[in-house]
Amino acid sequence: MIPVRCFTCGKVIAGSWEEYTRRVKDGEDPAAVLDDLNFTRYCCRRMFLAHVNLVDIMAPYQ
Amino acid sequence: MEIDILELSDRSAKFILSGTTAAFANGVRRAMLADVPTLAIDDVNIYNNTSVLYDEQLALRLGLIPLTSSLEDFVPQDKCTCEGSGCPACTVSLTLSAEAGEEEQVIVHSGDIVSSDPNVQPADKNIPIIDLRTGQKVVLEAIAHMGYGNKHAKWQAGVACGYKNMPVITFEGCDRCGICVNACPRNIIQLGEETAEISKDDLLKCSLCRLCQDSCDIDAISVGVDERSFIFTMESDGSYTAQQLILNAVNTIKGKASEMQNILSTL
Repeated sequence: MIPVRCFTCGKVIAGSWEEYTRRVKDGEDPAAVLDDLNFTRYCCRRMFLAHVNLVDIMAPYQ
Repeated sequence: MEIDILELSDRSAKFILSGTTAAFANGVRRAMLADVPTLAIDDVNIYNNTSVLYDEQLALRLGLIPLTSSLEDFVPQDKCTCEGSGCPACTVSLTLSAEAGEEEQVIVHSGDIVSSDPNVQPADKNIPIIDLRTGQKVVLEAIAHMGYGNKHAKWQAGVACGYKNMPVITFEGCDRCGICVNACPRNIIQLGEETAEISKDDLLKCSLCRLCQDSCDIDAISVGVDERSFIFTMESDGSYTAQQLILNAVNTIKGKASEMQNILSTL
């Protein structure tokens, strides 16, 4: 699951995760989506770019 | 002291604070980060959790969700008359109950949390809390307390609060060679009729890198700062509006100062 807040600055980022993944999946450029969602600092941007949703891999096993 | 608002929205603000000292500006910044109490989930009673997240992970995610708070309605737990045991003046109960049942995937959002107080709601409704698969279930009760940002980041109302000094850039004896125009990484220097110049709005964008000053062959540019003027930027996590947060921060400083005055006057 995407962390609720940015590790560095504390901005709440999880609320934009679903829109971000949907738009990137539809072929938009991640940088343009993050600009559009108003993530200007690179600490918040790396939260999206570097996140791997491991919950999808773990989910069937419990 | 003067305040000139540049931008003010629900969640963020940018303003120029002038005629004061760095100590005061820093005091306001620190108060916004650490000394304005907010509500955040602190205790979680988990009745059922068959999801892939551990109880502790689930509790952390719940804690970090900002809740709309009001300084008038709640008091921080350490200052409450119940002495920390929990009473309606310092705690709010919230419940979350979700089940995937036969469905393949159900994502539980912060908007699914049911609060016992209509004024205390998650500030963002679309934060994914947990991903439930077929047959998985979560039932819990969460207790939110009023707390301070200096104790845990979940009570931190201000986000990315900072300031920089107002840049003062002067051009003297400029020969309009244009080297500084290309040297500036923010592209704010323009060639005027007699000298190179920076418009008043663009001046705020200056990062004080001094590359223009170093690039000038005839030392015509001097980059300095106004020590008594600050460009302040701040964001709120949603528990208060940006405007309320600044007011609350200033009021906490005021409260502390009057507390000190009371102590000193009794000596």
